[in-house]
Amino acid sequence: MGSKILISNGSLADPETGRFCRKDIYIEGRLIKDIADKIEAGSGDIKIIDARGMIVMPGLVDMHVHLRDPGFEEEETIESGAEAALAGGITSMACMPNTSPAIDSPHLVKYVIEKADSTDCSIYPVAAMTKGIAGKEITEMGLLSEEGAVAFSDDGRCVSDARLMFEIMRYSVQFGKPLVLHEEEYSFSGYGLMHEGKFSTRLGLEGISRLSDDIIIQRDIMLAGKTGARIHITHVSTSAAVDMIRRAKKNGVPVTCDVTSHHLFFNDSFLEGFNTNLKVKPPLRSRDDQMALIEGVKDGTIDAIISDHAPHLDTEKNTTFRAAEFGTIGLETLFASSYTKLCRDNGVGIDKLVRLLTLGPSSIIGINAGKISRGKSADITVADPGADFTPAADSFRSRSKNSAFIGQKLYGKIKYTVKKGKIVYESGSN
Amino acid sequence: MLSKKSILQVDDLEKEDVIKIMDTADSFTDISKREIKKVPILRGKAVVNLFFESSTRTRTSFEVAAKRLSADMINFSASTSSLKKGESIMDTLRTILAMQVDLVVVRHSDSGTVKMVDDLIDIPVINAGDGKHQHPTQALLDLYTIRSRFKECRGLKVAIVGDFLNSRVAASDILLFEKMGMDVSIVAPSMLLPEDCSGFKIYSCIDDVIESADIIYMLRMQFERQGRKFYPSIREYNRFFSLNRDRVGRMKESAVIMHPGPVNRGIEISDEVMGGTRSPYSSVIIEDQVTGGVAIRMAILYLILG
Repeated sequence: MGSKILISNGSLADPETGRFCRKDIYIEGRLIKDIADKIEAGSGDIKIIDARGMIVMPGLVDMHVHLRDPGFEEEETIESGAEAALAGGITSMACMPNTSPAIDSPHLVKYVIEKADSTDCSIYPVAAMTKGIAGKEITEMGLLSEEGAVAFSDDGRCVSDARLMFEIMRYSVQFGKPLVLHEEEYSFSGYGLMHEGKFSTRLGLEGISRLSDDIIIQRDIMLAGKTGARIHITHVSTSAAVDMIRRAKKNGVPVTCDVTSHHLFFNDSFLEGFNTNLKVKPPLRSRDDQMALIEGVKDGTIDAIISDHAPHLDTEKNTTFRAAEFGTIGLETLFASSYTKLCRDNGVGIDKLVRLLTLGPSSIIGINAGKISRGKSADITVADPGADFTPAADSFRSRSKNSAFIGQKLYGKIKYTVKKGKIVYESGSN
Repeated sequence: MLSKKSILQVDDLEKEDVIKIMDTADSFTDISKREIKKVPILRGKAVVNLFFESSTRTRTSFEVAAKRLSADMINFSASTSSLKKGESIMDTLRTILAMQVDLVVVRHSDSGTVKMVDDLIDIPVINAGDGKHQHPTQALLDLYTIRSRFKECRGLKVAIVGDFLNSRVAASDILLFEKMGMDVSIVAPSMLLPEDCSGFKIYSCIDDVIESADIIYMLRMQFERQGRKFYPSIREYNRFFSLNRDRVGRMKESAVIMHPGPVNRGIEISDEVMGGTRSPYSSVIIEDQVTGGVAIRMAILYLILG
């Protein structure tokens, strides 16, 4: 017998059934004991969370996070990243392998898993698909899978060599693991700093054409069609990419995709003040692309929303736009920014949003998370859709403060995060 | 007084500001023609030329302008390694602020950096060119030169010829010229244009505009600024974009030729058109631009600090 928690009067968003309705949830020890319309708090020591007016959902799943550990611990560590995730309602996440050294050998997968064990967040390593993320030689995908890698990716880099990509895809089929693909044609992205369009011309910042993404996405859809590999296109940013993926799915190609919360929230017009926290890759694209991404969410083309949490030191961002690093942190704003943009501004249903933040990503990487039902591990997040907040640089638990969302009014504050039956985050408790 | 404390981009200037600057510059042109080229209007004020990118013309122009108004001018050239850009800018600014100066003129090779400086300090900042973004005082002096020649700017046809993609001068000129009711076209090869040219009038050969333009504005063909060199050759450039005697002969009688300098002789403009210390053609008003530049910068310094 562990501790007891009753979450009462909340509205439960269940991604398995798609239902969003009032339910009480009773937790005992690490597990969900009961879910019902009305549960009376029994006698004894029981913590009651009054979730009236709040959204209750499975602990969120972020399948694309940079924890910078090992190698860049000043920016983030597995521990600080876990704290930031829990504050963002995220109880499971997959971390990318572009660390130093890159997660390209079994002992490094083990390192992440062992270090993650000491945190309250479930962390699943994604291993590199080429050694050192150098785009030259295939990693030991078999051994890496056995050690616990949930997917393969060279995220941050694109495998330019088409033949090598073809072989990576064929090989990945033998282990049944998905490939998370960062799509970038370097001859187009080159010196680019932002989306190539009206605003890049006006601001005098070198542009990154949509073709940079689109050419490689087209290539990889062809290769996946041929090899049968499960590919997952990450941080989709262009309207044409959404169209290509929509068509490929219709044609039976095993492709899924995600979009970041910042690509949903912003477009290139926000760069007018040269805010380096908005310098990301792929770049924030035009308003038309942004609307196409939202459309892709609505029609089911997009399978997951990610933070692409990318911590950077102040000295790497507080510099000229050209010299600044690419990337924004996002764990602590993932839910609120997506809720604000999709549900409040664009009429997306809460059920759909919650699915993209839970069961959507968990089923792509094949982890046991993102569900809420009797007998399951009590991983639960409670958010208040009416509560707004405006992130400031000093409000983050992440070691880095480079958030694109600083100064933006967001709705949907995370109130409680429960992991394995334990309250691991409570707003106002920091 | 101008509507904003700093001049970072043409967008910051209201039309009234532009006219006020032009009119003030007019009143200052006489000073530069006197035997004693100095008035005590800004005595006791300190102005810093903070240049992170090398420049002779613009830096000197600001220096002459400040000195003719009796302000103290401090030249501060700061080199910056790309790795520590942020830090070196902060450290340089600390040093400059400690000198208790009244205004900073800034040039930097990265777009947006002058705005960054302006965000960090309280004293007025003038953008003397930031990357490929803008060069607002160049646009003002170009407009001033045109206004001095044509009196009325509205309706004038301007053709900007050359490397539009990499030119902060072109970016600023278009905004300012259009603000003042001029009709602007761009003459450039595809690889020196952005991917999305909607909203711009584009021509692919100077012959398309040579007879109709009131102003032919030649840009520097900045081979050194191209990340990748896609343009085939100088002789191809000469064939489609350069000014030579034949083309100058086909221009309207009243039309003028401008260039932000320095001219690459034989690339944008042929030697015979450029001439020696003066061009044989009165339509070449590149030196008027330089003279006007001093007057415009005097006007700006006066309107901000006076």
